[in-house]
Amino acid sequence: MTTTRRDLFKMAGTLGFAGSVGAVASALPIEAAEAAVTPKPGSSFVPADQNLHLLRRATFGPTPDLLASVRNKGRAGWLDTQLDANSIDDSDCEKFVKSRFPKLFWTIPEAKNKVAKGDRWNYLISLAMATIARQTWSKRQLHEVMCDFWSNHLHVTAPIEGVWFSRHDYDRKVIRQHALGRFEDMLIASAQHPAMLLYLNNAESTKVEPNENYGRELLELHTVGLDASYSEAEMFDSALIMTGFTVDAEDGTFRYNGYSHHTGPVKVLDFEDNNPTGGGGYDVALRYLRYLAQHPSTAHHIARKLCVRFVSDEPDEALVDALAQTYLDNESEIAPVLRHLFTSEAFENSVGDKFRRPLEDVIATLRILDFKPEARGTDSMRSLYYICNEVGQAPFAWDLPDGYPDTAAAWQSAGTTLNRWNRHLSLAGGWFPKTLRKPPLRNLLPKRLPRTFGGMVDDLAKRLVFRELSNEHRDVVLSLLQRRAGDPFRSDHADAHWLMAPAVAIILDSPYHGIR
Amino acid sequence: MIRVKRDEQPQCGCEQHGAQQEIGRRGFLKRLAGATALTGLASQGLTTRLSFAADGYNGDVLVVLSLKGGMDGLNAVVPTFEPRYLSLRPNTGIREAALIKLDNNFGLHPSLRPLKQFWDEGTLGIVHAVGMSSPTRSHFKAMAEMERAAPGTSIRSGWLDRTLGLRETGTSYRGVQIGASVPSAALMGQSPELAMLSVDTFTLAGIKNADERKRWRRALADMNANAPKPMAAPAKTALSALTEATDMQREGYAPRPTAEYPRTELGRAMKDVARLIKEGNGLQVACVDFGDWDMHAGMGDVDDGWLHDHFSEFARSVAAFAIDLGPIMNRVSLLTLTEFGRRVKENGSGGTDHGHGQAVFLLGGGVEGGQIHGQWPGLGEADLVDGDLAGTTDYRAILAEALEKRCGAGSMSEVFPNLSSDRIGAFKPRN
Repeated sequence: MTTTRRDLFKMAGTLGFAGSVGAVASALPIEAAEAAVTPKPGSSFVPADQNLHLLRRATFGPTPDLLASVRNKGRAGWLDTQLDANSIDDSDCEKFVKSRFPKLFWTIPEAKNKVAKGDRWNYLISLAMATIARQTWSKRQLHEVMCDFWSNHLHVTAPIEGVWFSRHDYDRKVIRQHALGRFEDMLIASAQHPAMLLYLNNAESTKVEPNENYGRELLELHTVGLDASYSEAEMFDSALIMTGFTVDAEDGTFRYNGYSHHTGPVKVLDFEDNNPTGGGGYDVALRYLRYLAQHPSTAHHIARKLCVRFVSDEPDEALVDALAQTYLDNESEIAPVLRHLFTSEAFENSVGDKFRRPLEDVIATLRILDFKPEARGTDSMRSLYYICNEVGQAPFAWDLPDGYPDTAAAWQSAGTTLNRWNRHLSLAGGWFPKTLRKPPLRNLLPKRLPRTFGGMVDDLAKRLVFRELSNEHRDVVLSLLQRRAGDPFRSDHADAHWLMAPAVAIILDSPYHGIR
Repeated sequence: MIRVKRDEQPQCGCEQHGAQQEIGRRGFLKRLAGATALTGLASQGLTTRLSFAADGYNGDVLVVLSLKGGMDGLNAVVPTFEPRYLSLRPNTGIREAALIKLDNNFGLHPSLRPLKQFWDEGTLGIVHAVGMSSPTRSHFKAMAEMERAAPGTSIRSGWLDRTLGLRETGTSYRGVQIGASVPSAALMGQSPELAMLSVDTFTLAGIKNADERKRWRRALADMNANAPKPMAAPAKTALSALTEATDMQREGYAPRPTAEYPRTELGRAMKDVARLIKEGNGLQVACVDFGDWDMHAGMGDVDDGWLHDHFSEFARSVAAFAIDLGPIMNRVSLLTLTEFGRRVKENGSGGTDHGHGQAVFLLGGGVEGGQIHGQWPGLGEADLVDGDLAGTTDYRAILAEALEKRCGAGSMSEVFPNLSSDRIGAFKPRN
């Protein structure tokens, strides 16, 4: 990065600098750092408009176009369209992904054959790069949000050794395929996918030498959860039921091996089976997976996670119960649960209660600034992956099987906060990634330019965070720019151009943007 | 889980390997200022006795190294006198000939050799068969309970947060998580913690001028001051810690030449902890995560593979840290924690499943070192609990003893509610 904050101001020609940087400084005692300020609720920073509320939660970030679309269709209509993702023409985004990342469409045997040994790590990272592209540019936004949700729920870490030839296929055939379908189908698909079977060691679990890793997480993380109070013996039976689900050593695809399936009676919660033969073990396992997918504890577990994702870090139990019932009534179909959630009173009343995690911040920033990828190649996507990694939330990179945490408390980090601020400025200033196609910041302002700096800040805020800032915060922006509200803003002034990047950045650094 | 193998990445270019600055210039000055508060420790050398007094906290810096995923204590510190050890682990157990002898009963995994010198010096201690009062084989429940450390209560904060909360003063560096973008749950609660990937990345990018920096900092503070706590708190901590971090970056950091940190995430994190300790900016508690211990399959051989590499990275990083700090280790207590040990009997995949009793490493001048502490429960059929090494020492008793003897803590009732007063004598009282 060659341009700096200082250079921006220098180019604006507004500052005479004192030369030397501070002498001996010490860490401030916390108590003395600042006078206590009473926090305001999140709802005082984001517009109350329910259309925007829905867009902040159900997409990777509102844009003026999306807002127009919701207003046009109505929230219910917009939601119906998003829930029927295939009805949305997303050919631009898909074309982009297919042309820049064609290898991600290889079958598992193809990938196993063709990916060079030294390229495996990159291959996995390219999946995350393509994911960032889809999150930013797909028109099927709710589908993308749900892909992220399920990727964390049925988590398979990437990059990681061992899944290099199958993780891309898991994304396509398990997560993307079923993200708005039935959970039962997704669970069964995950249980038969080499990526999951290798990640949680079921591939090497046999009747002689059972490995309980997958059987345990299948219960605890994927379905009923610890609240279902199954015993260790039942957990072990869970592992025994899944013995035989393995991966072909040659071509890397799923294989059921009846010979290594444990036989004999098994019992997990109310699921019981005499499980007499190796040949019948596959069907026993599928019955078991269906039983788990339709279990009330699974319904509750998933309903609660959806509420934490979309409503509040501490969701109302009545809503969780109601969604769990909808899940069960619809035999694990996702769309009716989401429709119920997004039209509930608890959702309506939750404006300002969620915060953007680092990845959501980066993607929302790209979306609101209307950035597009370069005409050829994948350099900008690689840079964006780097940024997501730096702020601590590269897609799929969480290294435990429980997926990234989804509450604000888990993400309170001073270092990440600084990195987010730095990235707002480097993106707004167009310094990094250099290769992104960036419309001039002037395009963020109305055709008819504001006449004053005060007006510029107002217009910019309306475009970036869909409202004007409070008077107090407007003054903060102006004093950063060293301008008064009434100072004339003229597009032909060099400073009008150069001062916009810090203005954009400081608005994105605030709760007006950080709240989801 | 399968192995997360991350390449040893080159260190970022911003580090300066120039001057041998044992102590930052300002850190040195601060320590001189603190000198008046402490007397009579002349034999321990200047850097040791003058540390940490500037902010009113005089206890040890507590370094908590979390080995998430379930570290295999039985292969780390092997009970050589137990015939059942090798019969239950015919493929994954470590034979006595390969071990580093600690005493007549226990031997250290050969990859942990870098730690042996501290055992010999008497600064490395081990507590074996450590457990929790309500064992669980769930990673996530065990981790959460371990970091909350308040079983049977509805307390939601972490034990380190409650520890810091009992102390009156502190700088923004008093509780630091290094090397992770999300802080340890042990630090979560009322007291603000400072989580950073590294000292060198903790920066407001692109500012090279004091006046401009001042304006950005004011604007960032004012924009976030009345935000809801999840945004306001880290913003405030970030801004208050920034000056110090910027100065440290300018000074650069060169560890002692004999301290050979591995060029890995853990190596870099431990180096940053040493750097913060030497800087003397009020560090009281540092947390570092080193995960990926969940070796259900393919843990490898005694001289190669996953467990070997992991032990080696751990031992080399910790040894470099202690060598780097030298006599300052007299005022540092490092301890390791993992959510559980592994099942005694190996599984069929060349790995081990979730178990219970774990081994805890203690390192520092205040450790009763050169000893295995705790009560050995035995590996006999009847000694095991559901196939696991029993936990005979509540891990909280070790933490409590460190806090009481080394960190100047008084009553433990708020930090560890319902903990008995039994202690195992793993730490020396501070002089």
